[in-house]
Amino acid sequence: MKRWIGVGLALLLGAAVVVAIVIGGGDDGPGGGGTALKTVRGVIGSEKKPFFDDPQVKAAFAKHGLQVEVDTAGSRQIATSVDLGKYDFAFPSSVPAAEKIKQDRHASQTFSPFYSPMAIATFQPIVDVLTKAGVVRDSGSGYQILDVRKYLDLVAKGTRWDTLPGNTAYQARKRVLLTTTDVRTSNSAAMYLAITSYVANGDDVVNSSSQTAKAAQTVSPLFLDQGYSESSSEAPFEDYLAMGVGKTPMVVVYEAQYASRLFAGDGSIRPDMRLIYPSPTVLSKHTLVPFNDAATQVGALLQDDPEFARLEAKYGFRTSDPKVFTAQADAAKAKLPASLVDVVEPPTYDHLERLIATIEQRYLAEGKPAS
Amino acid sequence: MTMFFTRRLAAAALAVLVAATACSADDDAAPQDGPDVLRVLAGSEVKDLEPLLKEAADAVGVRVSLTYAGTLDGAEQVASGGADGRYDATWFSSNRYLSLIDGAPAKLSTQTKIMISPVVLGLKRSKAHELGWDTKQVSWADIATAAGQKRFTFGMTNPASSNSGFSALVGVTAALSNAADALDAKQIAAVTPKLKEFFSAQTLTAGSSGWLADAYAGQGGQTSVDGLINYESVLLGMEKRVKEPLTIIYPSDGVVTADYPLTLLASSAKKDLYGKLATWLRTPDVQRKIMTTTFRRPILPEVRPDQRFGTAQLVELPFPNRRSTADGLISAYLNRVRRPSRTLFVLDTSGSMKGERLDSLKQALSALTGADTTASGQFSRFRDRETVTLLPFNSGPETPQSFTVPESNPDPVLKQIRSYGDALEARGGTAIYDSLRAAYQTLESRPSGNDFTSIVLMTDGDNTDGSSYDDFASYYATTSRTIRTFVVLFGDSDVGEMQQVAKLTGGASFDARKGSLASAFKEIRGYQ
Repeated sequence: MKRWIGVGLALLLGAAVVVAIVIGGGDDGPGGGGTALKTVRGVIGSEKKPFFDDPQVKAAFAKHGLQVEVDTAGSRQIATSVDLGKYDFAFPSSVPAAEKIKQDRHASQTFSPFYSPMAIATFQPIVDVLTKAGVVRDSGSGYQILDVRKYLDLVAKGTRWDTLPGNTAYQARKRVLLTTTDVRTSNSAAMYLAITSYVANGDDVVNSSSQTAKAAQTVSPLFLDQGYSESSSEAPFEDYLAMGVGKTPMVVVYEAQYASRLFAGDGSIRPDMRLIYPSPTVLSKHTLVPFNDAATQVGALLQDDPEFARLEAKYGFRTSDPKVFTAQADAAKAKLPASLVDVVEPPTYDHLERLIATIEQRYLAEGKPAS
Repeated sequence: MTMFFTRRLAAAALAVLVAATACSADDDAAPQDGPDVLRVLAGSEVKDLEPLLKEAADAVGVRVSLTYAGTLDGAEQVASGGADGRYDATWFSSNRYLSLIDGAPAKLSTQTKIMISPVVLGLKRSKAHELGWDTKQVSWADIATAAGQKRFTFGMTNPASSNSGFSALVGVTAALSNAADALDAKQIAAVTPKLKEFFSAQTLTAGSSGWLADAYAGQGGQTSVDGLINYESVLLGMEKRVKEPLTIIYPSDGVVTADYPLTLLASSAKKDLYGKLATWLRTPDVQRKIMTTTFRRPILPEVRPDQRFGTAQLVELPFPNRRSTADGLISAYLNRVRRPSRTLFVLDTSGSMKGERLDSLKQALSALTGADTTASGQFSRFRDRETVTLLPFNSGPETPQSFTVPESNPDPVLKQIRSYGDALEARGGTAIYDSLRAAYQTLESRPSGNDFTSIVLMTDGDNTDGSSYDDFASYYATTSRTIRTFVVLFGDSDVGEMQQVAKLTGGASFDARKGSLASAFKEIRGYQ
C-alpha cells in the first residue's frame, strides 16, 4: 500500500468524512446505535492500516465513543511534508519521526503502544546457503540471525548468488542483496539503514555529520545496487509470498508482517519459508503523537487497554506485556522468539535524515547521463 | 480480426488525443463519470479483463470505465497532471517506469498489485525442438547466440510504446550484461554489440502486445516469424489461435515480471470505490477467474498457480532505478540496436487539404523530426539509420523523396525532412491508389534486406483520380506482400475502404478525425 497522499486528496477525504458523519450518522460505525461517535483523524504509516480497518478495532473504539479515521503516508512524509494541521494525531512507525513531530508541534507527550523488530523473510534453502557462507547462524536463543557485519563484507565484494560455495539451491547470477523498499520514502528501509549504518560506524549509533558521511558511503550500495525498489513495505513482501524465492530470496520486513500472516493461518506462509533476524536489529516503535485531548485518549487506549493490546498482537505487533504476543504465537503454533537479544537504537531524526539525504544525492548524481 | 484490432487502435489513439487536449473544450470525449464509476487510465494489456470487470458492477457496485494509452504516453499523462480530474486510477502492467519520472510518485496514492505475468519467449514447438530448447535449460545468452546465427526469428513490441517490449529489453540487457547489479549508462554502452546480435533476429514489431499477438497468429505463408517475446499470459492465451503450438521458454538467468498495480490517483475523491474494486479483485474467487480466463498468475498467495504455469524458478532481473538509464536503454534500442526502419509516407496534398489540414500535416511531420520534446515524442522521432521516404500526391503521385538519418549527428537530415514537409502545397485531386501503388513500386524496386519496411497512407477524402481500390488489390496480389500499410483516417476519408487497405496489407488504421494527425503519426511509430 502506497502512502503518498496528496493535499488535494486529503482535503477531499476530510470533506467526505464530514459529510458521512452528518448524513450517515455513523451507519457503518459499529456499535453506533444512535449515539454520535466522536471522529478522531490521524495520519499513520501504511502498515497499520489493516489494524485500523479491522471491524473489531472499530468496535473497540466505538465502545469509548470514538471513531478513528486514518490516512496513510510514509513516516518520512509525516515528519516533513504532510500538513498535520488537518489531523488530530500522527502515528509514524519510528521514534525518530515521532520525535521530530513532537518537537515541531510542541506536543506534550507521545504514546508507544506497540513495536515490531526488523526481520528478514527468506527461505530454508537460502538460509542453508548463507549458513555455509558464515553469514547466517543460530543465535543460541531459539532463532536464527543474519550477521550484518559479515553480510556487509559479502556485499562489498560484489558477491553473486551463483558464486557462493555449495549453492545448488539458488543459481542466480544476481548479487546477494537483501530486498528493501525505497529508502527515500519508506520507513522499513530507513530502519534497515539504521541497522547497517550502526555496523558500518564500528558498532555505534551515528551521531555526527562526519560519521553519517562515512557510513552513507559504505551502505548506499545496499540500496542503489538493488536497482528499482518499491515505495511501500507491503509490496516486496507480497512478491515474496506470491512469487517466492525467484523474485525475492530475502526481504527486509517488519516482523509483524510475517507474524500476522502466521497468526491468521491463511496458508500464505508455506513450509519452506523462514523468518530470521538481522544482528543487530532495531525495533520499529510505532509512536503516536496526539495534538488534542481526543487523540490523547486514542493513544492511551492503544497503549494501556488490554482489549487493544490483544488486537494489536493479532496484527503481529509486540506490546508492552510480552505475554500477549506469546499467547498469539502459541495459539497459532508459530515459532517466534519471545524476545530478541541484539537490539540497537536508531540514530536521531537529524542524523537518520542526513543519511537518507546523502543516499538520495547519489541516486541523483549517478542519474546524469554519461557523457 | 483486423476489424477488431483496427477499431481498438482507433479507440486507443482517441484516448491519447483526448488527454493531450485536456484543456480544450473536448469534453464530450471524456470518460463517462458517475457516483459509481471508477475512471481508469489503463494499458491495452488489461483489455482482456473487461468481461470480468463488468461483474464488479453486480458484485461490489463499481462500474469501471477504461481508457487505453501506451506505457510512456500514460506515464507522461500521469506525471504531467494531465490525468488529474479525468481519471481516478491507473492500471498499467507495471508502475516502475512511471515511478522513475520526477514528480510522478506524488501523483499516485494507494497501489494494489492484482496479478502477475513474466515476459518470456514463446517459440513454435518444432523450432524449440530443433534448437533443443524444449528439453534443456536455456539462458538469454544462449538465445542471443542462436539469434546471431539466424537460427530463429521473433516478434516483440516497441519498448517505447508497450510495457512487454520495455520489460523484455530491460531483461535481455540485464541478462546479457556481465554486471550482476542494476544497469547504468556505462553497462548499456558495453552491452550494445550483444544486444545488436540478439535483436538481429527480431523481424516483427508492434505498438501493442495485443496487435503483436494478432499479427503473429494471422501471419501468412510469406512472412514467417518463429516466435514472440511477450507476457506469459499472452503466449498461453494464443494456444487456440495458432496452427503450431508455442513452447514457452523460461530463461534460466531471469525475467522481468509485470505485476499490474491498480493505482489510485492522489487527485481522485473516489477512494472508497477504488478500495472496493481492489479488494474484490483480490478475493480468491476472482483471482482464480483471472488465472483461468486470462492466464495470469494470481498475486494472492493463498491461490496457487495451476499446472499450466510450469514449475520453473523465475529469477527476477534487477530493474533500473533511474529514469536516465531507462530512457538511455530505449534510445539505444531504437537508434543503434534494432534493425533499421524503412518508412514511406504517402501524403495527400490535394486541394481539400488546403489551410488547417495541411498545417496539421506539416506539424505532424515536424514532430517526428524531433520537434516533439516529450520523452514519448523523442522516442517516436525518425531514428538514426532510418530511411524516410515522403511521397506527396494529388491528381497523381509526385516524385518520392528519400532521406537517410545517419547514425551520428542526425540533426541536419532531420532538418531537411522538416523543410521538405514545410514546403508542401495543397492543390489538385486525390489519386489514392495510383499513389499507393507507386509507393509499393518504390519500395519493391529497392529491396533492403533486413529493414523493417512499412507504409503510412494519409488521405482526407475519397479517391477521385486514377485506379480504384480493386485495381490496387489486384496489383497488391502480385507483390511480395510483405509490406504493411498503416492508414490514417483524417478529414472525410473513406473509412471502409481505408480499413480494407489496412486489412489487405496486414496493417492497421488510426483515427485522426477527432484529434490531431500528430498523435496518430506518433502512435504509428510504435509499429515501424
